Amino acid sequence: MTVSITSYLMVALILFCVGLYGALTKRNAVVVLLSIELMLNAANINLIAFSKYGLYPAVAGQIFTLFSMTVAAAEVAVGLAILIALYRNKETVNVDEMNQMKR
Amino acid sequence: MDVKDIFSYDWSYLLPEFIILGFATILSLLDLFAGKRLGRQVIGWLSLAGVVLAMVFVFVNVNVLDKPYSYMADMIRVDDYGNAFKLLFLGGTAFAILISLSYLKKGEVTHKGEYYYLMLTGLLGAMVMASSADLITLFVGLELLSLSSYTLVGLRKRSLQSNESAFKYVVSGGIATAITLFGMSYVYGLAGTTNIYEISFRLAEAGMAGYQFLVYMAFAFLAVGLAFKISAAPNHMWAPDVYQGAPTPVTAFLAVVSKAAGFSLLFRVLLISFFNVNDGANRFFFQEGSLYLGVMAAASMIIGNTMALRQTNVKRMMAYSGIAQAGYLLVPFVPPTTLFFGEVIFYLFGYLLVSFGAFAVIMVVTREQGTEEIKGFAGLYHRSPIMAIAMSIFLLSLAGIPVTAGFFGKFYLFMGALAQENYWLAAIMIVTSVISYYYYFGIIRQMYMRPGTSEAPLAVPKGIWTLVFVLALLTVFFGAFPGLVTDYVQLHFNPSFDFGNMLPVDFQ
Repeated sequence: MTVSITSYLMVALILFCVGLYGALTKRNAVVVLLSIELMLNAANINLIAFSKYGLYPAVAGQIFTLFSMTVAAAEVAVGLAILIALYRNKETVNVDEMNQMKR
Repeated sequence: MDVKDIFSYDWSYLLPEFIILGFATILSLLDLFAGKRLGRQVIGWLSLAGVVLAMVFVFVNVNVLDKPYSYMADMIRVDDYGNAFKLLFLGGTAFAILISLSYLKKGEVTHKGEYYYLMLTGLLGAMVMASSADLITLFVGLELLSLSSYTLVGLRKRSLQSNESAFKYVVSGGIATAITLFGMSYVYGLAGTTNIYEISFRLAEAGMAGYQFLVYMAFAFLAVGLAFKISAAPNHMWAPDVYQGAPTPVTAFLAVVSKAAGFSLLFRVLLISFFNVNDGANRFFFQEGSLYLGVMAAASMIIGNTMALRQTNVKRMMAYSGIAQAGYLLVPFVPPTTLFFGEVIFYLFGYLLVSFGAFAVIMVVTREQGTEEIKGFAGLYHRSPIMAIAMSIFLLSLAGIPVTAGFFGKFYLFMGALAQENYWLAAIMIVTSVISYYYYFGIIRQMYMRPGTSEAPLAVPKGIWTLVFVLALLTVFFGAFPGLVTDYVQLHFNPSFDFGNMLPVDFQ
């Protein structure tokens, strides 16, 4: 039994929405970074699914995924480094308390 | 496109990129191995030398290349469109490094070596963004610029404000990246390729085959995600916080180089990929697509200019002003005409001169006053007339008052909108420009008419003084003779009105 492309796209879309919801609502900075990873991985699922079931199946999607995974890893490394620097100055990972700058 | 041996390419056209990459690598090694005795100013001067050298080779490319030269199926593509933007990035980074040389003398930033070569890697990312026609390389270039600038923003490690703005930048940047990537994944799914020239035909087929909805969705995702880099609505909220917390030269770098890079990417990807999509009668891009971008432009102009009114922090005010400028710059894209390329390049050129000048003055004044409030400018005219006059010129140019480069930039955009019968957008542009006079003149009022806390002459570092003086002169000069730039752009970058030979021959 083959799984249709729609299922893959739905999973990716749900994952993307969960990630976006998490990134916008969660208080813990680490969870926010995790949620962003979810969004990026949702895009990866899309790319992989399309590279087999897309209108023009081609391997380029899988290559793209390799690049985007690398980039996501670099991004979360930078994000955590900045979070650690922040934690050193103000012992909190609660994003609600990051309100130094006025509106 | 057949596979070519990697050595059969003429790699000399990529010299600007190689130079920046080489300097970034060597300087990072130098910083690692050259103990404490080496003054880190040396790294700054060396990176400046690298930027200038790369600029020379871009000029060589401009004169040597008639046709676009493509590497590995357009993974990197040296064309006039990219070259014009590259000159802007290189010029902007050179100014940013010049300002930094003075900024870093006082020890807020402890990692000075990193500061300079991160700026170079950011510049490299921007250059890749401007000269690639493949989604993968474009994405990697975008992220190279983003990651470098996240770190640059957070380099004042002991300042809580800087940490916080860097973290906000990472989070909002990460969300924007994910949205962009998600859009790219739909584009890839419909086209089965990452080359944007092939995408442009495949997307048109997909649109005809009943997948319009996915095409539109991909367009919306891409537009929203890429709006982040140019700090246009709806993805502008990061700008004020990041601009405020970042070291001032980095703010200027973000305001000009990063924004121009965002524009080069946005224009190229959206224009080429969606150019052929149509419903049989009308091209999608010139109807709904343009309208969408027009709404983004209008929202940016309105939000930027009205929110700037209530700012008391000068860097936040400049951030909102930058959001408004992003709105103006989207106007010629609604819909794009053959003139849009020249208009955009001239506007960005004027904006580059003015922003760096303004941020240099802001840096000197905020440092000396120990506050970033607009009140810090009070009495500047009595303390340093040259700085006050130069700052007035920059602000007038940002506001778009005649005999400055900014006036002609805005004038061209405005005339372009009128020629397209885009009256609503032109009207919003005029009204919001008038609103913007209020906050620009707020600073001028402080400088000339309010008594400052002291009357002592302002100590301006020599380098900054020269830079500000030259930039002010250039702003007035190109305000008087804008033709010098527009003719140069037309002659060297856009002789056949094809957006700096970005469009392939079989388009139209």
